[in-house]
Amino acid sequence: MNSLIKLELARALRNRKFLFFSVIYPSVLFLITAGNADSTTKVPGSGLTLPTYMMVSMASFGALTAVLMGNSERIAKEREGGWVRQLRLTTLPGRGYVLAKTASAAVVSLPSIVIVFAVAAAVKDVRLDAWQWLALTGAIWAGSLVFAALGVAIGYLATGDAVRPITMITYFGLSMLGGLWMPTTTFPDWLQDIAKWLPTHAYAALGQAIEQSRAPHVQDLAVLVVSFVLFAGGAAWLYRKDTLKA
Amino acid sequence: MTTTASVVAFDQVSKAYDAVRAVDGLTLDLSPGQTVALLGPNGAGKSTTLDLLLGLKKPDSGTVRLFGTSPRDAIVAGRVGAMLQSGGLMDEVTVAELVRLACDLHPKPYRPSEVLSRAGIAQIADRKVNKLSGGQAQRVRFALATAGDSDLIVLDEPTTGMDVTTRQAFWATMREQAEQGRTVLFATHYLEEADAVADRVLVLHRGRLLADGTAAEIKARAGARRVSFDVEGALDEPALRALPFLTGIDISGRTVRIQSADADATVHALYGLGVYPRNLEVAGLGLEQAFVAITTAEEAKSK
Repeated sequence: MNSLIKLELARALRNRKFLFFSVIYPSVLFLITAGNADSTTKVPGSGLTLPTYMMVSMASFGALTAVLMGNSERIAKEREGGWVRQLRLTTLPGRGYVLAKTASAAVVSLPSIVIVFAVAAAVKDVRLDAWQWLALTGAIWAGSLVFAALGVAIGYLATGDAVRPITMITYFGLSMLGGLWMPTTTFPDWLQDIAKWLPTHAYAALGQAIEQSRAPHVQDLAVLVVSFVLFAGGAAWLYRKDTLKA
Repeated sequence: MTTTASVVAFDQVSKAYDAVRAVDGLTLDLSPGQTVALLGPNGAGKSTTLDLLLGLKKPDSGTVRLFGTSPRDAIVAGRVGAMLQSGGLMDEVTVAELVRLACDLHPKPYRPSEVLSRAGIAQIADRKVNKLSGGQAQRVRFALATAGDSDLIVLDEPTTGMDVTTRQAFWATMREQAEQGRTVLFATHYLEEADAVADRVLVLHRGRLLADGTAAEIKARAGARRVSFDVEGALDEPALRALPFLTGIDISGRTVRIQSADADATVHALYGLGVYPRNLEVAGLGLEQAFVAITTAEEAKSK
């Protein structure tokens, strides 16, 4: 299975468009959103400066891009094209294909997180304790698994034609409504009520809790855990259905 | 190599999609070292049969065993190499990378360079998989099926998209595989391939096994032989049509083509008519005609 992970990774690293959107683009977006803010403006209700707040949002956004964008489309296309069937004629265990995709996405998501941090620290003077940097990296990286599972589920749900629009709607919807592009505090109240139940919101809130040196809200943790169980369970169910049908 | 257990054993295997019985009570047994063609028109159930054989589909009833175990266990043991008809490939990687992956995944792998050259794709090893022609992609699929020392090689319509030269080279390679004691099973609708390559031909029609034997036996079973000749002088069509044992006749210009259940008697009667046939040829039906004869007979029976 290692050889498949290596090959998936080599392919991901060769895809410039994918690398741009998952590794570079979140940092660019961070500079645009946090660019004019001085380091003293606080995001209401958080006690964090705008750059500090947005750094976590954008790192989460980058990780989300890396794990969601490539995989759903590839899985749908490779399922339809018959590569998944061909792999079933090898010694690779059934789960190996999905695990290799997830593992390679996780390798790409790490630099997208770290680069946003580096840009934030260097350009916008974001300062945190060492344990906070480490905890942030770990939390955002681990949290991205929720969305990796979602990507796999979409890949097994959608056909090759429909997968791109479905992924795009999910991706932009989750990013925007979950407050990854702008703090949800700027939303009208009714939208804030919806946003706080989105896994992307909980995902970024986890990072912001670390920045605030406090324990995360139970609701955010619960949203993430439930989302993971739903997405991973759905992916497993769809995978089994697809295998029987193939 | 296995000696006692059969390579492939189907026992009363059925598989239906909705109301259509794709495979209907199929029982068959392949021994080591055979090269077997699975022949049938589109929709005969060839691909479903191979999917069941490889464990990609589960039969509704009956059992499929490979080397005395389940298909999956046989694959995990590295005993089966297979090439699917619509076997998609991983794109945006090179041919060499993909072949290396296949070798890595095989329990008894060959060296990637060996596999590449045997499949005739060493020259395109650095090319991206999604930039290949149909015939080249087909050879890459073949390379994936022969990445290791498997005992059974399964090929679904392997030469689709290959030109004549490539096709010949392909079968030469395949024959080598068979000579090394491997069992080769291939589905095809190219009848001349089955005729030239296989030592056993299975004719599949509507999910059932219609005939099972050597190409010559299948042809003999269809019964008829073909007589053709040119007529000089007057051509007495009614008399020709009245020849004994005739099963078919086609007259175009001076050339007469006859299908006969007993060619010797037909030709004897032909001389009796006082006709002097020029360029007389008596031949067995090609496998293709035999195949058509067998399947149409079956259609007629089922009506």
